Amino acid sequence: MVEAILFTLFSLSAVAFSLGMVFRRNAVHCALHLVGVLLSLSGMFVLLHAQFIAAIQILVYAGAIMVLFLFVVMLLNVRGESPLLTPGAAKGFGFFFAFIAFVELLWIVLSRGGSEGLPEAVAALSPGFGSPSEIGRILYTTWLFPFEVTSILLMIAVVGAVVLAKRKFA
Amino acid sequence: MDAAFLIASAVKVLIVLGFVLIAVPFIVWMERKVIGHMQDRIGPQRVGPFGLLQTIADGIKLFFKEDIIPGQADRVVFFLAPALSVITAFVALSVVPFGDKVTVFGREVPLHIADVNVAILWVLGTTSMGVYGIVLGGWASNSKYPLLGGLRSSAQMISYELAQGISLVGVILMTGTLSLAGIVRQQEHMWFIVPQFFAFVIFLLCGIAETNRAPFDLPEAETELVAGFHTEFSSMKFALYFLAEYANMMVVSAVAISVFFGGWHGPILPPVVWFLIKLSLFLFFFVWLRATFPRLRYDQLMAFGWKVLLPLSLLNLAVTAVVVALTG
Repeated sequence: MVEAILFTLFSLSAVAFSLGMVFRRNAVHCALHLVGVLLSLSGMFVLLHAQFIAAIQILVYAGAIMVLFLFVVMLLNVRGESPLLTPGAAKGFGFFFAFIAFVELLWIVLSRGGSEGLPEAVAALSPGFGSPSEIGRILYTTWLFPFEVTSILLMIAVVGAVVLAKRKFA
Repeated sequence: MDAAFLIASAVKVLIVLGFVLIAVPFIVWMERKVIGHMQDRIGPQRVGPFGLLQTIADGIKLFFKEDIIPGQADRVVFFLAPALSVITAFVALSVVPFGDKVTVFGREVPLHIADVNVAILWVLGTTSMGVYGIVLGGWASNSKYPLLGGLRSSAQMISYELAQGISLVGVILMTGTLSLAGIVRQQEHMWFIVPQFFAFVIFLLCGIAETNRAPFDLPEAETELVAGFHTEFSSMKFALYFLAEYANMMVVSAVAISVFFGGWHGPILPPVVWFLIKLSLFLFFFVWLRATFPRLRYDQLMAFGWKVLLPLSLLNLAVTAVVVALTG
């Protein structure tokens, strides 16, 4: 019962903040709405017994990445100058990708047979599910290779950014 | 989730909230008095015995002052920013254990509001959210010095958060838990400041930088930026920023105590008293630092964070990892 109320609360706020993020004109306000979306998602992760992911969501996305976003938005002080796409083209792209995402979600939901499979899935959770130690164990055994590949990719991105920033443009 | 649990949690929330709200005026008084004596002055002494009521009088004055909002300010964000500062500081305090379990009416009540198994991440996450209060305050004022103060602060906090987080990983490796209460329980025989001394020094330095206290108070450097991000804030909004700063000092002190100084452990006296004694010592240390050190230059601050603290914290982590792996 409590979970249902909390889920409704978090999902409604996530939807409301997403709409705000898309429709607000001011870039800083959009960024703030995105922070709201991330916080709502973090609440949902807690409801899914994934406290670690929830904390990481706040720490990394809401706390670090969005601060950098905000930082850049403020420094550049963008006020709708010289957009990359015309408003019409941007809208077209937006609807196109939104449609694709919607079809994908529909596909997943239908192929799983709606919500029928969910109660068993929750019952099948091991007691340590979502705890930091459990995630760490899986990450460094079963998923070691993808994990290391991801870290190397990130490393390359960092090195690339430094090289680009240091290059003298004559 | 029974009624008794809800009541116990509500009471604990009220105690922590009330304690912080009552303690902050006295910390401010302590700060003015201590700095006064360190600079060969006597500090506040007119209002109440030893000037004890001075800050309360100041608070009442701020409460009744006119609330001025700059004409070009972003009104919603201007309103939101100080509130965000205070909220994040208080939310971080919710996972700090201030005593061992006590038995009330035959029920065991742990003395922290929420025992989450990711408490350390929770504190780091909420304090990193605290930067919004300052950045947005600076931006929403729509004025150049606050904006510069806000930008400085976001750069500073992001830089020092990294080293702060990594300095705590050493202790997490040794204890195998992210729960603050769990870490405190493992310090019954030895405080973690002994094996993790460098981590503690790094954590404390970063903590001072995170709370924007001297000598890292660049975001509000008055010789360069008037008053930094809170230049345009008046009345209770200014008071909220003030409250948030002192609440954040308590958060950093409380985490340092729990992780490195044995939390509530101590001989003879009851656990809560030990926690409060350690907390007061830490707060005194913060004040002492402010009276002692001049402010850093901005490039010194960034270089210190990235070129000294971050490598040192990584080195400490690597050494700890090797030792933990070798000893089992």
